[in-house]
Amino acid sequence: MTLIWKLLRKHISIFELAVFFVANLIGMAVILAGVQIYSDIKPMLTGEKSLIGNEYVIVTRPVERVGMGAPTFSAEAIEEFREQDFVLDLGLFAASQFEVDGSIMFNGRRLSTMMFFEAVPDSFIDVESRDWHFAEGDNTIPIILPRNYLNLYNFGFSQTQNLPQITEDMIKRVELGIRLSGNGHRDDYVGRVVGFSDRLNTILVPMEFMNWANGYYANASVGEPTRLILEVANPGAPEVTSFLAEHGYSAEDKPSESSKALFLLKACVAVIVGIGLIFSLLSVIILTLSIYLLLQKNITKLENLVLIGYTPSRVAMPYNLMTLILNLSILAISLVVVFIAQGEYMGYLSDIAGHELTASPTTAIIVGILFTAVIIAFNFFIIYRKIREISKKR
Amino acid sequence: MDSIRLSNVVPEIFASREDLHSDIWHSEVTIERDKCYLIEAASGTGKSSLCSYLYGQRGDYRGTILFDNEDIAHFSTNKWSDIRQRHISILFQDLKLFGELTALENVAIKNNIAHTQTLSQITAWFEELGIGDKLHSRIDRMSYGQQQRVAFIRALCQPYEFILLDEPISHLDDRNSDIMRDIVLRDAKQKGAAVIATSIGKHMNIDYDKLLRL
Repeated sequence: MTLIWKLLRKHISIFELAVFFVANLIGMAVILAGVQIYSDIKPMLTGEKSLIGNEYVIVTRPVERVGMGAPTFSAEAIEEFREQDFVLDLGLFAASQFEVDGSIMFNGRRLSTMMFFEAVPDSFIDVESRDWHFAEGDNTIPIILPRNYLNLYNFGFSQTQNLPQITEDMIKRVELGIRLSGNGHRDDYVGRVVGFSDRLNTILVPMEFMNWANGYYANASVGEPTRLILEVANPGAPEVTSFLAEHGYSAEDKPSESSKALFLLKACVAVIVGIGLIFSLLSVIILTLSIYLLLQKNITKLENLVLIGYTPSRVAMPYNLMTLILNLSILAISLVVVFIAQGEYMGYLSDIAGHELTASPTTAIIVGILFTAVIIAFNFFIIYRKIREISKKR
Repeated sequence: MDSIRLSNVVPEIFASREDLHSDIWHSEVTIERDKCYLIEAASGTGKSSLCSYLYGQRGDYRGTILFDNEDIAHFSTNKWSDIRQRHISILFQDLKLFGELTALENVAIKNNIAHTQTLSQITAWFEELGIGDKLHSRIDRMSYGQQQRVAFIRALCQPYEFILLDEPISHLDDRNSDIMRDIVLRDAKQKGAAVIATSIGKHMNIDYDKLLRL
């Protein structure tokens, strides 16, 4: 081996190899750091312990004809939803089947309005309150309002009507007069707002109350729901959107924060990895040209080695070894760079996530090994092809 | 490998010529182990081409060349490597030595493939051929006659059944020519190999089994 090496190392350009080494090192380090950062941040946006949390999608069927009654979800349709992998949990909206009349004393005058209530299972509600319960015989009905309503009043209505702005605490202190009627009953209750929801755009009462009141005032069991609430990991996921589209359902979609963040993350990583790829690609071209030139300059020696009995693969070995050592050193150094970088940024990520995250560079290692293997295989291929060509009978 | 057979072989460039009077071209020739052959040629009669065909360097001929009944036209590169490692040895007319290596390194790079000869055997041959003091000299600092002897020693550093010597003594004096003859006959006999020498005039003084005129 040493004799062949002594022969074939002639004309090796240290400069060209150094350019390749530096360029590919930069490219590889950037690529590996990019994919590693991506794989470290992605679970924070989409996983179980997500920074933003799982998302909720409220699904309705569009109204098709006026006056036909709201379209509802049949038991089969609901079952189909439950069978989907992306549905982590599913809740049905129950609507009041009786008359609701709400009133409020304002400047000594009684303002009253017709209203309706809806209820969803407690696990879907994003408000925590000790008062959120109802038992038969209670005179007080806890209510959750959409935060939107308050915003609409404060930033829209009150401004134009010269009315005072109101805070959440003020509303929570107000007693609403609620009169429920139907099925031969008519009773007055006190309504008390216990919180505001960002998730649910309706006037919510506890499920226990709804079940009881529908039986008592409407003598009706809960009918088919008109709206469903789904808990999903990522509402922007293609399987979710395509399922909804296929069945003609529509989602009351506010743009999902995590999908926006995920998109931004993907875009950034794509740019970073793209730059890394360009560096690596150019460096591989430099190496390829350098090897070709080297083989061309040593062509007589290569021919003679084959003529005295060396196999093409044996002749290729020193050059293969050279590219192997170069590429493996690049991989090793890039991984060290990624380890160090990861140690730095994991601290910040842990602060954001609020719990300690463990740094594991698995993604960088896997991608690095694959990428290096591809480059090495390509180098071997061009070396072997060139030497085969030299060895061919003329 | 026991025999080389040439059947109606002719270089492509000679194919249309009708004035060829040759013992080899357009003829049936069988070369067998344990025998000595001298191929005599005037220049321009295709001596180098013949060596190139037999050694798998070139394939621009018509007719068939068989090694033990196998047509060499279909041999793969690796098959040729095997033949060059274990079956046919050659002393190239243009030597094909590596100028930047020393004499001993040039021999060692061949001997390393199969480790056929010991270092003491190699140095003994150097001594015998009068270049014992040149073991560590660079090849490109040596005279052509000295280089010819190094290339000859290299040719002995492998197992073979046929040894092809292309104008082996073109730059040697009679004394060295006789030494080379003694060494190759000894080595070939030991291996039961055929010796095939070419010449354009001067040739090793051997009792050849067959003389072939190109």
